[in-house]
Order: sequence, then structure tokens, then C-alpha cells
Amino acid sequence: MALYLIARIDQEVVALPATEIGSVVEVDQIAAVPRVPAHVAGLFALRSRVLTVIDTRSSLDLGVIDRDAAMTAVIVECDGHSYALLVDEVEDVIEAGQPEPCPALLSTSWRRAAKGTIRRGEDAILLIDPAVVVAGPEPLAA
Amino acid sequence: MDDLLTDFIAETRETLEALAGEIVAWEADPADKTRLDAIFRFVHTVKGSCGFLDLPRLGSLSHAAEDCLAEVRSGARTPDAALVSAVLAIIDRIGELTDALEAKETLPEGEDEFLIAALAKGHAAPVAESVAAVTKISVMPANAPVRTISRSIRLPVELLDRMMAGVSDMVLARNELSRLLRADGGNSSTDVAFERLSLCVGEMRDAITRTRMARIEALFSALPRMVRDLSGELGKTVRLEVDGGDVELDREMIEMIRDPLTHIVRNALDHGIETPEERRQAGKPEMGRLRIGARQSANQILIEVSDDGRGIDAERVVRKAITAGLVTSEQAAAMNWSRKLDLIFEPGLSTADKVTGVSGRGVGMDVVRANIERIGGTVDIESNPGQGLRLSLRVPLTLTIIPALTVSSNGTLFAIPRSAIDELVRPKSDQVRIERLGGELVVFIRGARLPVVDLGRFMGLTDTAEPALLVVLRAGGGERYALGVEAVHDHEELVVKPAAPALMASGVYAGTTLPDNSRPMLLLDVAGIAAAANVGRDQSVVEEAPVEKRKVKAALPTLMFRDLDGVVRGVRLALVERIEDIATASVIETGGVQMVPLQGRLTKLHSAAALPASDRLRLLRLSDGESAIAYAIDQVVDVVELHAELAPTPVAGPIAGVVLHEDNPVELLDPFWLFTNGATSPANDDSPLCLVADADDPWAREVLAPLLGAAGYRVMFAGEPTDDRVSVVVTSTGHMPEGVDAPVVRLRGTPDHNGDESIYRYDRDGLLSALRRHVAGGK
Repeated sequence: MALYLIARIDQEVVALPATEIGSVVEVDQIAAVPRVPAHVAGLFALRSRVLTVIDTRSSLDLGVIDRDAAMTAVIVECDGHSYALLVDEVEDVIEAGQPEPCPALLSTSWRRAAKGTIRRGEDAILLIDPAVVVAGPEPLAA
Repeated sequence: MDDLLTDFIAETRETLEALAGEIVAWEADPADKTRLDAIFRFVHTVKGSCGFLDLPRLGSLSHAAEDCLAEVRSGARTPDAALVSAVLAIIDRIGELTDALEAKETLPEGEDEFLIAALAKGHAAPVAESVAAVTKISVMPANAPVRTISRSIRLPVELLDRMMAGVSDMVLARNELSRLLRADGGNSSTDVAFERLSLCVGEMRDAITRTRMARIEALFSALPRMVRDLSGELGKTVRLEVDGGDVELDREMIEMIRDPLTHIVRNALDHGIETPEERRQAGKPEMGRLRIGARQSANQILIEVSDDGRGIDAERVVRKAITAGLVTSEQAAAMNWSRKLDLIFEPGLSTADKVTGVSGRGVGMDVVRANIERIGGTVDIESNPGQGLRLSLRVPLTLTIIPALTVSSNGTLFAIPRSAIDELVRPKSDQVRIERLGGELVVFIRGARLPVVDLGRFMGLTDTAEPALLVVLRAGGGERYALGVEAVHDHEELVVKPAAPALMASGVYAGTTLPDNSRPMLLLDVAGIAAAANVGRDQSVVEEAPVEKRKVKAALPTLMFRDLDGVVRGVRLALVERIEDIATASVIETGGVQMVPLQGRLTKLHSAAALPASDRLRLLRLSDGESAIAYAIDQVVDVVELHAELAPTPVAGPIAGVVLHEDNPVELLDPFWLFTNGATSPANDDSPLCLVADADDPWAREVLAPLLGAAGYRVMFAGEPTDDRVSVVVTSTGHMPEGVDAPVVRLRGTPDHNGDESIYRYDRDGLLSALRRHVAGGK
């Protein structure tokens, strides 16, 4: 059994491995960064740390998060850098068993980010790899 | 050396403590291989360090123990009780000697031989006893040194980073508290307490910053050995002089400099310093000299490496560069010595004619420079062929705290490393002119032309580029450009951290920083912006060439354009203030003179042929600094350097003469003629004030005033209030305004001379010259 954070990105309920998550914070005042990929929403200061804010919707080619609403971000560490992943909502933290393989039929954006599925009661929830979300959408030319 | 010794003592003691358990375990079971290995490693390490630190006693002890243990490990000897005791006695002795080293005492010599002899094969138990006896003697209280408490500890850098982050948090919390206290109005006793806290936090930040510093000795200490080995290998004799090892800089910085410095020293030995034979023939001492020195200057560390070898011949570098296709021979011809020498830093250029095992394997000075510039430093080279070479590395004190200038464009703040900034200029001052060439901005600063990158437009923050301030930046490699910004804010020391890969990949940021206002900010990568904005190298060549050639041939950048009559003509670029498109309909023609409104002012328009029928008209706005004229053209062709002789035209006119450009004759505009014939020199606040006495006279209002205005005077009528001094009074009716102390020019209505000093009112030249005389006289 392992702990998972349950969040919502663009109507889809997803799970993130709790071991990779530092904290969940409310984000305001994002400093915009020009000339960077669209999924990088900007910079955000959490005490003395500067976090790179990632728009998870944009990262998964699902549009953009509504930046006027109060924004919730999941803090993750990736290759020595701290990121704030903007999500639509954080729902819960649950305990679940080993992830199972993904169903074969997934849209392209989810297929890239999903590492498998976990069970919450009857529901299967996609388990998301934060590193993929941080890396952003695949270049079109590839 | 002291630092190394302290390190050695600390390390040895640390291992000894860790080894204590192993030794006991080995004693219990001499066949235990892993214990044996641990002990072997220890004596091996001690032996290695001793050779380096010149500690012969420890050296011979550890050497003997190592030999003996090596035999045991290879199976040549089986460890017996005697051997174990002998080894243990040696390890104890190493511990004692180490303590003595730290306390700066000496232990009686002579006992070491017993210990070493005890290791020998075939020693029986009695010897073991004697070993024990010796050991006992040496640990007798009288002899035992008082073990001093070590004043240094070893810490993981990660812990220091955490402390640094903690202090940064404290600074931010302090700032917030400070804001709250100010908002509350302030209470003197709270303020005093807060001030004290504030001071403590500041001191703590400084102290923790210092923990990251180390002496550059750590970098220099490896050099003597390297120089010795290399010069031996190359058959050269070299004396190394090292200076300034106590200069402190960031630990990480030391690691970043290590490779470039090693490379430079290798180069100096391999290519710089000659063989003893060559040196003798050149009349130099056989022994070469290599000097390495470090010193702190302001917030930079200057590391100089100089040798008295053959130096680098810049001409040879240029030939290589031309062969390698890095520069054309024309470009090369325009370069001065130091610029040619700078080519040594170009990728793909090695001056080594033959590849040796030491250097010259294609990894060259370009890598050295790239590495140094990556950490915000610079590399300069000075060469005296036959006399030697000097390389100066300038690096910032630390990687993490960078003095920076905060600038903004459209409300977004950015930081620029102070080390990259040459100067700040305002585009509207005397020596600075911004021009628009082919849609791009360039700026002339004291005659040098630099490309302009507008920060707002570059970052996509604004559409227009109207920089209020220019920051002249060194992009590395002698390349400079001006960054147009909207405002310059603060000058502060910023703690810079690497930005996330997605940000670094943009190539224009060097890191992120969190100033005291808790708003994250990006540090700009000055060289990266130059590359991204395509501020090419050739532009800096263009910039340099005219400066050098002007002395001899007066080569001037010239704007080539196709005139309305289809002829390609040229005009000196310095005169071109801007290229503008206007609506053709806005041209006013009066009395055979064409005028266009430019920047809210009617400016005389010259055209070589009838204006085209199109809606838009392109024109050059020419300025001599004071007045301006417009010149209608068809299109801009190019900007070229023209330095050929001018063949003047015999008749004064808009064409000054003909010059050759690539064997084609090109007509050059005559600025002198253009400006003397109808330049508009508008009146401004500093123009002389001309008071017209006859406020009610329609002639004075409708005829005289416009003439005076066109001649560059400010005009006012009697009765109008002014604070300014009246320079001259003009009257045609003889009325004199009261209370005005100024020379008077009287006008008369008839051409006939009537004996007084009055001037006929339609004698334009007479009137203007009289005005000029009086204005000049009144000053």
C-alpha cells in the first residue's frame, strides 16, 4: 500500500505518488517569464524558494488553467528543481495498492503522462508521472 | 600548506577513530579480509599524503606497514599475533605523530625503527613484547601530548546550503516584519529591538556566506607537481612561482576554475616556454619562468598566469584563422593586434603545429573562455612575441551572490549581472543617437555603432521599441550591444540560483533570484540574448573598422539609397537621423518649396525628381545635430563603408561629388549645401527672444513675426508677460515698450536711406544681420 494524492486536472481525476510531493499550496502572484514554453506559467516564491509554476492543463495539451481563480499547486521536486504544478483542485490523499497497467484506449496526452492506474473503491484513477508534466508537451515535429 | 596539513590531520584522526573498531576486530581475527583491507587503505592514504606534505617519519612508518600488509593481502604472509601487534603499534604511532603535528611538538625519534623492525618476518614474540614496551613508553603521561581540541570540522556542503536557505527565509521574514512595523506607525522600543534583530540577521547572512568560501590554495597546491612532471616530460626546466594562495573565493567557483587553469598551465609549458636550447639561443636564461598569482580586486578575483616563453604571434593566429575559414582576409586586415590575438579563443583554432600528448588536441582556448564566461568571468590575453604571454582570468567571488542591476520593461523586472555592464546611456544625450535601419535599431555612442536589442520587444512585452535608457553590455568575445530598457531601478547583491531546465533552455536566462521584496526575478544571460537576438559578430567588426580607418582614409559608413530619379546615391550615415514613411498627401508645397511635418515641425523636403504618385513616401531625415531636413527617396539599398577619394562636382548643388564603390561611381549628397539651403532650425526655449513693439500693427503680426520665427527667434509682442530676458526689440512705428532694457532695431517703411540707423522693412538680409549683431552684442 502506498499513499497517493488525488487531484483534478481538466475534469479528469488523477493520482500523484505522495512520496514525490512536497506540499500543496495556494498560489497567487505568479511572475511571468517571457520566451519560455507555454506550459511554464511563471515563477512563484514560496518563502525563500523560487518555484517554477507549471500549468498542467497546458502541459498535457488540454488548454490552460483558469488563472483568475484561486490556484492550487502541488509542489514536486524534479532533477533538483522545485516545481509548482497548477491543478484545478486537490481532492484527497488516499492509500491504494500497487498500480495496474493503463487501459489501452487513452488520449495521446494522457497516455504520455500516465504510469498506470490505481483503485479508489470501484473507480480506477490514472496515476500521473510528475516528471512528464514538468517536461511539458512533446515538440510537434517529433 | 597549512590548510592541507590541517585537512590531513583532521582526515587522519577521523579515519583513526573509525578504524579503532576495525583494529580490535582484526586483532581478534587476523584472517578477516575486509578488516585488513580497511587498515591497508588507511596506511596507504597516510603514505600518499606524507609524500606530498613532506612528513618523512609518518611516511616511513606507513610505508613499512603498507609493505607488510600488502604481503599479507597477497597471501605471502600469514598474519600472526606478532605481526598484528607490530601493525597496531605503527597505527598508534601514526596517531601520536598526528597529534604532535597539530600541537606543533616533536616526538623523540629513534623508536620508529623498532616499530618498523618489528614488522619484519620471523620476529618472535619477545620482539612483540619490546614493541609493546616501546608503545608503552610513548604513551607515558609525561610524553603524551595534551590533545588539543580541534578548531575545524568537516561539513557536507548540502548542510551549508540549507543554512543559507534558512537565513534567506529569515531575511524575507524580517522584511515582512519591517513592512508591518512601518504600517503600524512605529513604537520606538520595538523599533530598537527590531533594528538589533535586523543587524544580527545581516551578520549571520554574511557569516554563512563566508562558510562557502575557501582559499584558492586548494587550486594552486596541485600545480607544483603538475609543472614538475610536465616539464620533465617535455624536457624543459621551469621555475614556478605561486602567489596569493590565501585569496578566498567560493568553493564551487574553485572547482569551476580548476580545468581552465590546468589547461592554461599546460599550454604555457607545452607551447609557451621553449626548450633550454632554444632559450639559450634566444638569449634567455635556460630555466623558464611561470608565474601564477591571484588577488582580489573589488568583488572579483584576478588570476594571472604569465610565462616568459615565446608568446603568441597574432599574425600567425590570423593566418590560421583565415585558413580555417573563421575570418576572411578583408576582416582580418581591419583587425588590430589585440583583436587578432583574440581569435585564439575561437572554436576550431589551435596554433599548435604538431599535436603533443600534453596539449593541442583540439580542445583549446575556446573551451577555457567558455568555462570562465559561464561563471560570469572574463579572460584577457596579452602577448609579447619572444618575451612571453600573460593570461588574466577575472572571476566573481562567488557563484551565488551576484551584484546586479535591476531593469524593467513594461513593468516586468529583470536583473543584469553588473560584470557584463559597460555603461548606461540616455538615447537623447549629445553623444548618443538612435537610428532605425531596415527595421532594426542601432545606436551611435561616441562614434561607435552598436546594435540595439529592445528588452520589451525582445521579451514580447511590448510591440514598440522606444527605449528610455540603453544599457551597453559586453556579450563576451569583444562583442557589445545596447539593451534598451524602460527604467533602471536598483543596484543590489542578489542570491542567484539556477533556473529550471525549461527556463534555461530559452538561452536568455542565467538563473532566478528572489530580491527582498519576495517577487521572483530572472537574471538575464547577456551572451544568450545576443545570440537569440542575432546580434552578429560582423556588426562589431563594422563598429571597429571605421574607428581605425578614419585616421588614414576617412572611411565612413554610408547609406546607399535609390533616389527618386532612379540613381543610386549615398549619404553619410552619421547624418541620417531616421528613415521614415509618411503619407504623400502630407507634403505641402508653397512657393516652390516642399515642406513635410516631421515630429510636429515643418521640415524642408528635398527631392531629386517629382514625388511619386504612391500614397506613402519614404524619406531620410537628415540632421546636423541642430537643424533637420528631409530627403525623399525610393528605397534604402545598403549601408557600406566608403573611403575612396571624392571627386568633387564643380558646381555647388545637392551632390557633393562622386566616389567609387565596388568600381561603380556613386553620387554623394552634399550635406553642406542641403543644410545651407533651407534647413529648418526651429526656435526653442534657448533661442533669443525678440520683442515686437508694435502689437497692434497687422504687418508686424502677419509679416514680420513669421520671418523672425523662421529665422530662429522666439517672438513676443509688447504687453505679453515674460520672465525671460528680451534679447532685442524690433519696432517699425518708433514705439518703445516700457521697462525693457535691450538693443533696438528700427524699421522704416521706405527703401530710401534717411540718415538714421533704421532698416528698410523689406530688407530681409539687413534686418537679420542687424538682429544677429544685436543679439551677439547683448550677450
